Amino acid sequence: MSSIIRKDPRKNWILRNRLHPLHQQMLVAEGAGNNAVVRGPSGLIRKNPHNIGFIGPNGIKRIDRLGGSGTVVAAGQRGEAVDTRLPLVQISNPESWIVVVPDLAGGRLTSHDRDVLGQARQLAAANPACAVVALVFGDLSENLADDSNGLALAGVDRLLHFSGDDWNGYCPEQELAAMLAVHRQLLPQHWLFPDTHLSGNDRALRLATRLEERPAMHAWQIRDGRVTCRAGSERNDVTRSLPKVVALLAECAMPVDDSRHEVLPMALPELPGVLARIQDAGAVAVDPNQIAMAEAGFILSAGNGIHDWEQFHEAARVLGATEGASRVAVDDGFMPRFRQVGATGTWVTARVYVAVGISGAVQHLQGIGACEKVIAINTDAGCDMVKRADLSVIGDSQEILAALIEQVKALRQPAASEGGRHHVA
Amino acid sequence: MSLDKSLKVRVLVSVGQHPKSGRERRADQDSRALELALGMPGFSVGLLHAGSESPALREYLGMGVKAIDVLKQPSSADVVPALVQALRNDSPDLVLCGTRAETGEASGMTPYRVANALGWPLVPAVVSISRGSDGTYEVLQALPRGQRRLLKVRTPFVATVDPAAAEARQSAFGPAQRGQLQAVAVASVADPAANDLEFSPARKRPKRIAAARKATTAAERFKAATVKSASKGGQVLVKETAAEKASAILNLLVAEGVIAVDSPS
Amino acid sequence: MLNAALPWLLAGFLIVLGAGAVRRISLWRAGRPAPVDLIAGLMAMPRRYLVDLHHVVDRDKAMSNTHVATAGGFVASMALILLVHGFGVDNVWLARALLLTTVVMFAGAVLVFRRRLNPPSRLSKGPWMRLPKSLLVFAATFFIVTLPAAGILPDGFGSGILAFVLLAGIVAGLGEMLLGMGWAGPMKHAFAGALHLAFHRRPERFGGGRSTGLKLLDLDTAGDKTLGVAKPADFTWNQLLGFDACVQCGRCEAMCPAFAAGQPLNPKKLIQDMVVGLAGGTDANYAGSPYPGKEVGKAKGSAIEVITEGLVSQETLWACTTCRACVEECPMMIEHVDAIVDMRRFLTLEKGTTPGKGSETLQNLIATDNPHGNDPASRTYWAADQNLPVMADVKEADVLFWVSDGAFDMRSQRILRAFVKIMKTAKVNFAVLGDEERDCGDLARRLGDDATFQSLARRNIEVLKKYRFKRIVTTDPHAFHVLKNEYPDLGGSYEVLHHTRFINELVEQGRLQLNARTGGTVTYHDPCYLGRYNGEYDAPRAVLNAMGIQLAEMERSGFRSRCCGGGGGAPITDIPGERRIADMRMDDIRATGAEVVAVGCQQCTAMLEGVVEPRPEVQDIAEMVAAQLVDVAEPATAREVA
Repeated sequence: MSSIIRKDPRKNWILRNRLHPLHQQMLVAEGAGNNAVVRGPSGLIRKNPHNIGFIGPNGIKRIDRLGGSGTVVAAGQRGEAVDTRLPLVQISNPESWIVVVPDLAGGRLTSHDRDVLGQARQLAAANPACAVVALVFGDLSENLADDSNGLALAGVDRLLHFSGDDWNGYCPEQELAAMLAVHRQLLPQHWLFPDTHLSGNDRALRLATRLEERPAMHAWQIRDGRVTCRAGSERNDVTRSLPKVVALLAECAMPVDDSRHEVLPMALPELPGVLARIQDAGAVAVDPNQIAMAEAGFILSAGNGIHDWEQFHEAARVLGATEGASRVAVDDGFMPRFRQVGATGTWVTARVYVAVGISGAVQHLQGIGACEKVIAINTDAGCDMVKRADLSVIGDSQEILAALIEQVKALRQPAASEGGRHHVA
Repeated sequence: MSLDKSLKVRVLVSVGQHPKSGRERRADQDSRALELALGMPGFSVGLLHAGSESPALREYLGMGVKAIDVLKQPSSADVVPALVQALRNDSPDLVLCGTRAETGEASGMTPYRVANALGWPLVPAVVSISRGSDGTYEVLQALPRGQRRLLKVRTPFVATVDPAAAEARQSAFGPAQRGQLQAVAVASVADPAANDLEFSPARKRPKRIAAARKATTAAERFKAATVKSASKGGQVLVKETAAEKASAILNLLVAEGVIAVDSPS
Repeated sequence: MLNAALPWLLAGFLIVLGAGAVRRISLWRAGRPAPVDLIAGLMAMPRRYLVDLHHVVDRDKAMSNTHVATAGGFVASMALILLVHGFGVDNVWLARALLLTTVVMFAGAVLVFRRRLNPPSRLSKGPWMRLPKSLLVFAATFFIVTLPAAGILPDGFGSGILAFVLLAGIVAGLGEMLLGMGWAGPMKHAFAGALHLAFHRRPERFGGGRSTGLKLLDLDTAGDKTLGVAKPADFTWNQLLGFDACVQCGRCEAMCPAFAAGQPLNPKKLIQDMVVGLAGGTDANYAGSPYPGKEVGKAKGSAIEVITEGLVSQETLWACTTCRACVEECPMMIEHVDAIVDMRRFLTLEKGTTPGKGSETLQNLIATDNPHGNDPASRTYWAADQNLPVMADVKEADVLFWVSDGAFDMRSQRILRAFVKIMKTAKVNFAVLGDEERDCGDLARRLGDDATFQSLARRNIEVLKKYRFKRIVTTDPHAFHVLKNEYPDLGGSYEVLHHTRFINELVEQGRLQLNARTGGTVTYHDPCYLGRYNGEYDAPRAVLNAMGIQLAEMERSGFRSRCCGGGGGAPITDIPGERRIADMRMDDIRATGAEVVAVGCQQCTAMLEGVVEPRPEVQDIAEMVAAQLVDVAEPATAREVA
């Protein structure tokens, strides 16, 4: 290969000129616009100041001139070798207890659980003989109880684990009996719960009712022995002295990140026989298209760029996605009005939002503001939806959907017999 | 429960507030509870409110109920004893209410304490109730992301209605004006613990910033705390084949866990 | 023989007509009372008929001439027939005059007949197809019968078989004209129409006046009084009379945007259903276009049955955009929109069945004073950089700028900013109400919620009372209409101007200088609530003219402008049709070849901009003017002010 660097003056000019109509496309064509090597007219490599740096907290662009410079990188590398094992914190003879009942959705610690455990650690820090106990109902996955894993890194000193089939479903009365038994045994200083729908929230309220405690629900800050909670309609905060039972919102405290803990299993208390008046008859298979738009976790949304509606519906069915639509698709009568996503339709909160043939009007982008991951399938690389999307594929939606349907079917083939139920979060 | 008897459902309703203006209105979840009650065949629906006699209560009447029993209570009172007493006198088969109030502390304790005092089971986050085959009631409970769980409960029980339950019907002005707010005399019990509560306008919660664990320089801490990872625009696939593009999408869907694959869990 | 029988025949028919009229009147009297000055109305009736009604009919010259000949001929003939044949006044000249009038009537009837040979779809068929023949028979028969009295034929003429033929003609003619008038034939329109003009619920409309504001609803619910109209008998009696006046000409149908969009509304059918309701029965005899997508013959009702339970479906009532095109076009001056809103009031206030986002919107209006549930304290956020004088501070200003709910919408904010720029350039002494302003109540009222409208309006009036200003200017024609025409009923009378008229004044006074606008063709879309509701057609055009714009007018412009689909809460109730009204309007705009469509309403802007691109650009007149302002070079003082 020749070592002579060939210049394409026109291309370079377009790349330099952000106002050029082809600028965006050229950046994309050059591959990952951010890291493109751009040569100036003299052949020197140019740094494009628009493509480096990051946006600072006040919205102003920052360019780190050190650029992760030598000393810092070296320091980081030296530190890493030490990191592999964090210092182990041991509490041999606990005198007081803080009980945390994590959600453990799907048997894993959620980030919310970690925040609550972090809060528990902060409370426990006041007394070196105070231990954080995790009270866990149901099965755990991935050896969470292992001392070098999950619970240990999240800050759990002791573990009370009620496991087995009896504890996997919805059994609030039995859980309450267990919590009361633990309460009698340990007389903990505090009970901390993640304030989550039907899990932590329900448990906290049941326990508080039986203990005749006034719980602090929707708490988001504990400071100086006082707790601040979000009150009704999110319009007020209530601050009060810290009670025994506290249900905490996500991000109430920083999770533990600098120590390891023992996670010693404790003996389970004797439980009285409980008459279960609420029987769990199991999860109900829900057709994704019956899920309310605002609640759906996975939305496949159609816009003006869809021409084969049969295929779109099939894609939604195969993917198990809830269908959505842009205003135009609804106006044109292809989709019912309640499917409309956007400021004038439904504000959605999906974890993954796939926009097929939607260019991204302002109202639509407003409506998907709360979505975590956005995937755009569009023919126009310059449209606003592509700018918003975390992954964009440019091309004919019909071909791409067809390929996607095929691949999902292939993926499902071996697992078909397992039944198509989605995991319940 | 026998089918002959007309079953009684009591809906506990409160005065809500609009989240933006703070103006009094029917509470959203309580009105969904009433909607659920009105949609249950074979039940006679009655409304119960403990607290002040606010004109906002008329919005419940506008949904097509003739009257509300109002247990007049001062704002400093603990309303649960009054509610329990009224419910004991009335002995309904089913008590419905919202999950969380829109005003005050809004801890969501009221239904739990009422159920506890009556000795009835409490079923939270309900979206529908129907009569089962064997004398039990089949209750659909709302799980996050539109999922549902089926529970079986015998009456009497207390149920809180989830915000995912069917939206309340419109409140019409005419019936709202004609309906009755019937005052029922009950003693009130003061709530001493309320004195500890200190209300203030909701503060914006601090945004969590990612702290660099081993930051040694200020520049690094600053960068770790402020860099926005996702907002700088995502990956764009242009030249790949349709199959490659599709598999890129599929990989993301699987990574996000929205497509069920037989992964070990 | 014939001469001997005729007076008795005439008397008989007149008695039957009288009986029919009494029955018809008793049907109308089932309605609620209405304050009407009966004597003054009857006195004014001829003028209303000959001038005001003729003015509307005269928009179609051919039809106008036809009707003048036929109706004029008939009325004159009938009077002379009574004299000549009824009372036997033996005067040759009277008889000859009768001959002349029957000829005129015959000529008119021929024209009617020719129109009915190939009738446009908007005309009703059925008995209406028979009418021209009856008219011809009537005119021809009485022409022949009168020939002897006029001395043209000998007295003995008309005996034997001819007498029977003539008798049959007389019976047929009089039957259609007199019997039909009292007993619900097509000629009912003449009888009911004349009385409708006399007892019209909006007498202000006659003599060049204008009355478009909805009537206030009495919110008293004591007793079992229904709010709004549930049953035909809940209309006022003169509304029922108005329905009976319908000639089924279908001009309303041809103008109705909802009908054209395939939504289930046809104003003509609606009025006919009201007639079915007031008299009782089914719509099986209706012979015009149906509600799009709905079969004819299934509807039935009576004066005491709820209208929406069998007679008219709820979607029909909610499809209306209240654009008033039907009312503007109706030659009988029937008030369709009033009737629709009256029935909506029942659905919203008594049944609580406002469709679509209606319930949510009304709740928001009640709880936050704006339709989208925005924080009422954020009403002035749009003007954070505008440094606007607020009434609470200044207490007094020449002009009160009514911002309207556009304050919450980012697109409308551009219009508001443009208008503020214009006022600042012209150095207008103005102020806004800021957070004290509330939704004007237009939307609530059109959705049938007069309780919320009255609550909003009363509170707005309370606020306005606190301050001194000469007049109110607004960029929102809906607010303009409500403030100007509907607040006086609640005690708030103001001089209200739409911003286009205000800008035009500024230009005329030389306080604004505008550059000539270059660039593509421009057309202008008349907002319904500015044009038809308030007669403001000239000021916007004058402003555009002042910028040197030659308008490419649409075929449907001015008082015939087609609605954008955004009025009457239609975007909220969102009744499905086959097309969207905004798309049809955009097609009208495209037909002019315009690159820019100028509008004077933020609702129209929103609706027209909702049409998929490529399409002509939509700009408010304020935005266009703001772009053409000549900066008066006073930099020093300007800086001080800013």
